[in-house]
Amino acid sequence: MVLRTLQTMGPQHGFGLAKRIEQISSGALSLNQGTLYPALLRLEQRGWIAGAWGVSESNRRAKFYELTRAGRKQIEREAAGWARTVEIMSRFLEEAE
Amino acid sequence: MSALRRLQAMLRSGRLDRDLDDEIAAHLAMQEDEFRARGMSPREARDAARREFGGVTRTAEIYRERRGVPWLENAARDLRYAWRGLRQNKAFTAAAIVSLALGVGANTAIFTLVRALMLRSLPVSHPEELVTLYRTGAWGRGYGSYPWYLEVAKRSDLFQGVIARSSVEKVRLAGERTETVQQELISGNYFRVLGIARAIGRLIGEDDNRTPHAHPVAVLSYDYWQRRYGGDPGVVGKTVTANDQPLTVIGVAARGFRGVEVDRQPDLWAPVMMRDGPIFEAGAHWAWVVARRRPGVSRQQIQAAMDVLLKQYLNTVYGSNPVAAFRSIAMKQQIEVRDGGIGLSGLRERFGTSLEVLLAAVALVLLASCANVANLVLARGAARRKEISLRVSLGATRGRLVAQALFESLLLAAAGAVAGVTLAYWGTRQLVAFLPEPFEVEPDVTVLAFTAAITVLAGLLFGLGPALHASRVDAAEGLRFGTGASPRSGMRRALVVAQVAFSVVLVALAGLFGHSMSRLRSVAVGFRADAVIGFSLEFPDKWKVAERTGPRDRLIAALEAAPGVSAVSYGFPGPFLHGSSQATIRVIGAGNEPAASNSGEDWVNLQLAGPRFLTTIGAALRQGRDVEPMDTAKSQRVAVVNQAFLRRYLPNEPRPLDRQLAVGTDTIAIVGVVEDIAHQGIRTEPKPTVYIPAVQSDGTWEPSIVVRGAVAPEALIATIRREGGQLPPQITVTEPRPIRREIEESLLQDRLLATVGAFFGVVALALAAVGLYGVVAYGAARRSREMGIRVALGAARASVVWMVVRDALVLVVAGLVLGLPASYAAARQVASLLFGLKAGDAASFAVTAGALLAAGVAAALLPARRASRVDPAAVLRAE
Repeated sequence: MVLRTLQTMGPQHGFGLAKRIEQISSGALSLNQGTLYPALLRLEQRGWIAGAWGVSESNRRAKFYELTRAGRKQIEREAAGWARTVEIMSRFLEEAE
Repeated sequence: MSALRRLQAMLRSGRLDRDLDDEIAAHLAMQEDEFRARGMSPREARDAARREFGGVTRTAEIYRERRGVPWLENAARDLRYAWRGLRQNKAFTAAAIVSLALGVGANTAIFTLVRALMLRSLPVSHPEELVTLYRTGAWGRGYGSYPWYLEVAKRSDLFQGVIARSSVEKVRLAGERTETVQQELISGNYFRVLGIARAIGRLIGEDDNRTPHAHPVAVLSYDYWQRRYGGDPGVVGKTVTANDQPLTVIGVAARGFRGVEVDRQPDLWAPVMMRDGPIFEAGAHWAWVVARRRPGVSRQQIQAAMDVLLKQYLNTVYGSNPVAAFRSIAMKQQIEVRDGGIGLSGLRERFGTSLEVLLAAVALVLLASCANVANLVLARGAARRKEISLRVSLGATRGRLVAQALFESLLLAAAGAVAGVTLAYWGTRQLVAFLPEPFEVEPDVTVLAFTAAITVLAGLLFGLGPALHASRVDAAEGLRFGTGASPRSGMRRALVVAQVAFSVVLVALAGLFGHSMSRLRSVAVGFRADAVIGFSLEFPDKWKVAERTGPRDRLIAALEAAPGVSAVSYGFPGPFLHGSSQATIRVIGAGNEPAASNSGEDWVNLQLAGPRFLTTIGAALRQGRDVEPMDTAKSQRVAVVNQAFLRRYLPNEPRPLDRQLAVGTDTIAIVGVVEDIAHQGIRTEPKPTVYIPAVQSDGTWEPSIVVRGAVAPEALIATIRREGGQLPPQITVTEPRPIRREIEESLLQDRLLATVGAFFGVVALALAAVGLYGVVAYGAARRSREMGIRVALGAARASVVWMVVRDALVLVVAGLVLGLPASYAAARQVASLLFGLKAGDAASFAVTAGALLAAGVAAALLPARRASRVDPAAVLRAE
């Protein structure tokens, strides 16, 4: 989700990402915002996003995350994976009918 | 990939922490703004933002854990903490490190020596298969005769190969400049049996060892080849002249092979057949036998077989000898089958037992120092109870506490090991300087590994116990009482008692060796060794008596005329530890008395003496006169006897100078009585000795020349060398040495033991005193309230002082109870090294007990003084 958000929104800082995810899932996912940061760390460690310090809209110093090329590839891989899963599941469900 | 990032993150954790804080702060600020925009008050906004975020600290912790390598970071942190702690408590750290350095250092030094002398295998193939046959009994120890070797070599059922070799000896190499090299004579199969390859050329083989004096070939050692010829392959075919015998170099042995003798390394090898002197004579003992046993044949089997073989051989050679006494001495010889893989070593023979004793002693020193450090660590743990309780209440697990305590111990152990290794280097050099032939001892990987191992062991030994003990703290109690009462100081007291016990053993050993040494020094040598230099002349075997006496007498005349020389004489054998020559004599009865004789099993020492030999060496004549120039080959046969002789053969004789002896076919008049001289060394009781003028005996022998001078020994030695150089070159002049030095050297082992023993004894005593002080002081502090009450109730201050001192003495006595029996057991093990003492030497043990008790009292002094000054009012107030 983070990766996709970054893909659509472009470089974002942690707060912005948290807000956006909340928004998109229409409040269905309400995690503690803090849990985002360890997740961001893992994505950064895997090389799918890169972080850099910058200045936010409200003139604050914040860390911005950007999708890397490896990250873009990862999105495609995961999207394909999800699609396949959905297809298989729907076949099962259709059969059951 | 992520693993790499994690390691990187570990190194930059400080900055990354700050970054995270900033990031989270920014996040919270932005959320706050949002809430404020919705109309909340600043305070409400801040709280709501925090709630929305979740646990900040928790998030940060999860983040950090995920970011780095947790256990490594924990370890690094604990290490830093331990380091800081040690730096803050300098006294404790210093005491601990010094204790450990002594234990570890001493251990490493002795182990280096032991390994070099006793454990290192020869660089040959399958050293475990090698055995040496060590002959004991008459005529020297270790080597045997060549005919004996040939008998052993027939036993191909037991051995894959049997080698004979001479010992490594100096030979003179002629050339533009004469040099002295070490030579070993070997049987033809030497290199083959040992499995040594060649470097260049070829090696000596069986065909080079068939006919006496017919194989003038030599093989050089690799080291000598490099040193002297710079590794030039053209050395093959060159001629070297060793002791006037030309030898052709046929090859060089492989690199790394240095012979089979640990103490001495040959520079060149020549066949046994080239020996200058008797080869096949059964009475010539010079050949060491080294054999490679067949796989499947045990040493016990070989020992049994050799015992039988030796009996048969001795019977063949000596069974028909007419002289019964000679025969019985010959038949008493034995063969010991020993491990050959560790090489032959004269030093090991002399010092092996002592080194083992020292090794055991240093193990004790290590234990004592570990006990000492454990005590220090325990004391520190007690002092930090409050801090530890705090940590426990904040959630530290027992495992983490033990780990942290162990870190401190390991840091101490590491520091102690570093200091110890330095001490070991220095110590090893000092020890080697003690040995008569100092040899190169390089510290090698094994020794360093050993040091590392005992370091870790030491760290665990003194760290684990206290660590477990300290972590078993009850948090609440610890917080309440802080550094005050500790429910059990039992462990500390037990440790100190153990330490005292170890010290008792060490001090007792020091006392025994010291006492033995003083006994040795008090033995009267029988002559005045100071200012006497001794050396020998060696002539070619072929020279007759007349050819020998000429040069000898000329040399003596020249020396007598030299400045600074008071007297010169000669004799055979030499005056101190030059062997002995024996004879059977009869004492001719006076009048009708039955004649005393020793034709049974006794031998009398026979000493050939030049004119004024006894006065030159400074022996005191009790009656009559010395051998004089007036005793010539044609004058009456005379002899001087020593007092041991009188005691044995002429007891109660009022006028020994009237008596006569029969030696062989000669009748000899006793013309003088001299005091007993310790010709066979200090440890041997002087035997009955008869001194006969050398000119009145036959036979060829190497004269031992003694020079007494009024000037410094170095000047005398220079004079001797100068005059000796005037002799014909076929005569070898051995190295002149002060007799005093020979005497000192014969006591080397005892000096080594006494000195090192004393050192360890003092160290052990000091450690015990320090340990006792710690525990007694602690105990006194704990009972200060009780003491205050006693004084307040009217007790004399002296009684309070006695309380403290008694505490120390109780610990010492407990240690003595454990240590004295152990010391006695140890003493019995080393009894063979002592002189004039039994293992249960009361004096040494009494001194030991006294020393430890004194240490206890000394340790109690300071706490006792503090106790005597206790102010009852202050103590009661602090309740």
